[in-house]
Amino acid sequence: MLKYIIKRIVNYAVMLFVAVSMTYFLASAFMDPRSNYMSRHPQPPVESVNRSLDNANINDQTPIIIRYLHWLKNVVTKWDWGLAPDQSPVGPAVASRISASVQLVTIATVLSILIGVSIGVYTAIRQYKWQDRALNVVATFFLVIPPAVLGLFVAFGAIALNNAAGARIFFVTGLHSYEGSNPWLWFVDFLQHIVLPTIVITIPGAVSYHLTQRTYLLDTMNADYVRTARAKGLTLNQAIRKHALRTSLIPTTVNIAFSIASVFTGAVITETVFAINGLGRYFVTTINNNDINGATAIAAFGGVCTLAGALLADILSAWLDPRIRLS
Amino acid sequence: MTDNTNDTEHKHSAAQDASQAATQTTASQTKREFHRTGRMTLYVRRFFRRPSAVAGLVLLLILIFFALFGSKIGKWDYEELDFMSLGTPPSADHWLGTTAGGSDLYAMIVRGLGRSLSIGILSSLATTAIAAILGTAIAFFEGWFEKVGMWLLDMLLVVPSFLLIAMIVRSSAGTSGWLWLTFGLTAFGWIGYARVLRTLTMSLRELDYVHAAKFMGVNPFRIIVRHLVPNLGSVLIINTVLGVVGAVGSETSLSFLGLGIKAPDTSLGTLLNEGQSVILTAPWVLIFPSIVLILLTFSVQMIGDGLRDAIDPYSRSGGKAE
Repeated sequence: MLKYIIKRIVNYAVMLFVAVSMTYFLASAFMDPRSNYMSRHPQPPVESVNRSLDNANINDQTPIIIRYLHWLKNVVTKWDWGLAPDQSPVGPAVASRISASVQLVTIATVLSILIGVSIGVYTAIRQYKWQDRALNVVATFFLVIPPAVLGLFVAFGAIALNNAAGARIFFVTGLHSYEGSNPWLWFVDFLQHIVLPTIVITIPGAVSYHLTQRTYLLDTMNADYVRTARAKGLTLNQAIRKHALRTSLIPTTVNIAFSIASVFTGAVITETVFAINGLGRYFVTTINNNDINGATAIAAFGGVCTLAGALLADILSAWLDPRIRLS
Repeated sequence: MTDNTNDTEHKHSAAQDASQAATQTTASQTKREFHRTGRMTLYVRRFFRRPSAVAGLVLLLILIFFALFGSKIGKWDYEELDFMSLGTPPSADHWLGTTAGGSDLYAMIVRGLGRSLSIGILSSLATTAIAAILGTAIAFFEGWFEKVGMWLLDMLLVVPSFLLIAMIVRSSAGTSGWLWLTFGLTAFGWIGYARVLRTLTMSLRELDYVHAAKFMGVNPFRIIVRHLVPNLGSVLIINTVLGVVGAVGSETSLSFLGLGIKAPDTSLGTLLNEGQSVILTAPWVLIFPSIVLILLTFSVQMIGDGLRDAIDPYSRSGGKAE
């Protein structure tokens, strides 16, 4: 087992290195930090522009390979991810936003797993009954709604609700606004902020867990060993709970492990709609500011999340599923 | 992985829906002499037995019609600004109201719908083509080629593709921006799909006639195009249709973030972005594009589900004998 895990980690580390380097080259090819300075009024002299660009190691007049080696050396030896075009360091900027993203995504992920898996089990047991059909239509509907539309409509509804109630029940921007020291008030304030973005992230997640869990359970419900269990006298509910459900949860667990990657990608739109200063919003900023180092740092973070999820999925499926042999 | 499972999941409910709806088609055929029903006829019949699929198709055709000819009906051009009515609600002159900048929303939506549709369809077609050829090739050549290929695919999936697409598209502006966006969505959209197709090809490559062709010395590329890809035909068709939903979703997300289509060009995502800032003062700028967008994705999804049901060899959409 240990040997297997180590092998995987080494493989993933090499993958991460190649992928992040590729992102660095792509970012350098497609982003033009010089234009940030050239569009200023009055236009700064070329020498000072070059000095700033050189200082951040993003000068397009330096050969790309030299810039890359310089960047790589700083990352490996000093854990220094470089500077943005406005000379602010990238590493601390990413680190400070991780907490907001984690707060936002953790609650939503847990909720969507709980809701999605229970609806999936509920509908699988009632396959083709009206409950199954109704929930399936609802799921298809939410499956195709683009995230931006969902986010904006939730915000719109909340504002309408606030106006109707004449009070601020929900906040549609940020994650915190309370500045006192009373923990209870802090918590209420946090809830008022987190509810809406959580809804927006939870719905698509829950829908996909619902549909996949339903399929997995239906696949196992007709398996021979479940029929055997029924033949030996278990009630349908017992057979499903003790035999079918347990097997069908294995692929779901693997999916959950993979969803770690969504700490980064899942929330870009939501963070933009609700003005939450997380990684997703920072990513949009870096792209708009031609911030090569910032975009690469985010890509690296996203890559680490993906691979951590993949590694967890490898380990979990090997551990849970006796059919998988490592040797 | 999830693609496969979703297939079966929709299949079940789809077959049930359709078999209930199918009642009337068989009576007229019993009188005629026996003749073999062609595969295409069978698919078409199964598809049209399903009300939701037909509704989706009709809806999509209406939307395409609007995207093509809607500008002929409207009074305004999408580039024309009406400075007499800035951010006015729907009226006789501006059917769906105007944006804060004075653009006619109807003209903008027609234009944006066309853009979103063409980006969605083009990139979905291109994605499928690339994924089909590379996915089958990786499985067909086996050995070290397969190992290296899979490693490369996994490596490309490490960095979130959304980020890479945004990076490429960002630097393009003006009227060619939508082509860049299509290119970006294609360039990073085929990878996960190629993995799925490779898994499916692993059983196809053991087929006798594929072996026979191989030992006859047929060019590998020819085997892939003539024998392997057609075997995946149904999967490819379904995924091309459903891929449109995904591509339209990515397009609107990027444009909404201000990283995709930019003015003077417009798309449904760009309109959503505009609607966001005037959500309280001019809600129609947000609501109408959203409705069109949901109609678009929903109709394509219905068609995709219908096709999946029609093409599936285990389809239960058999109609009823009387």
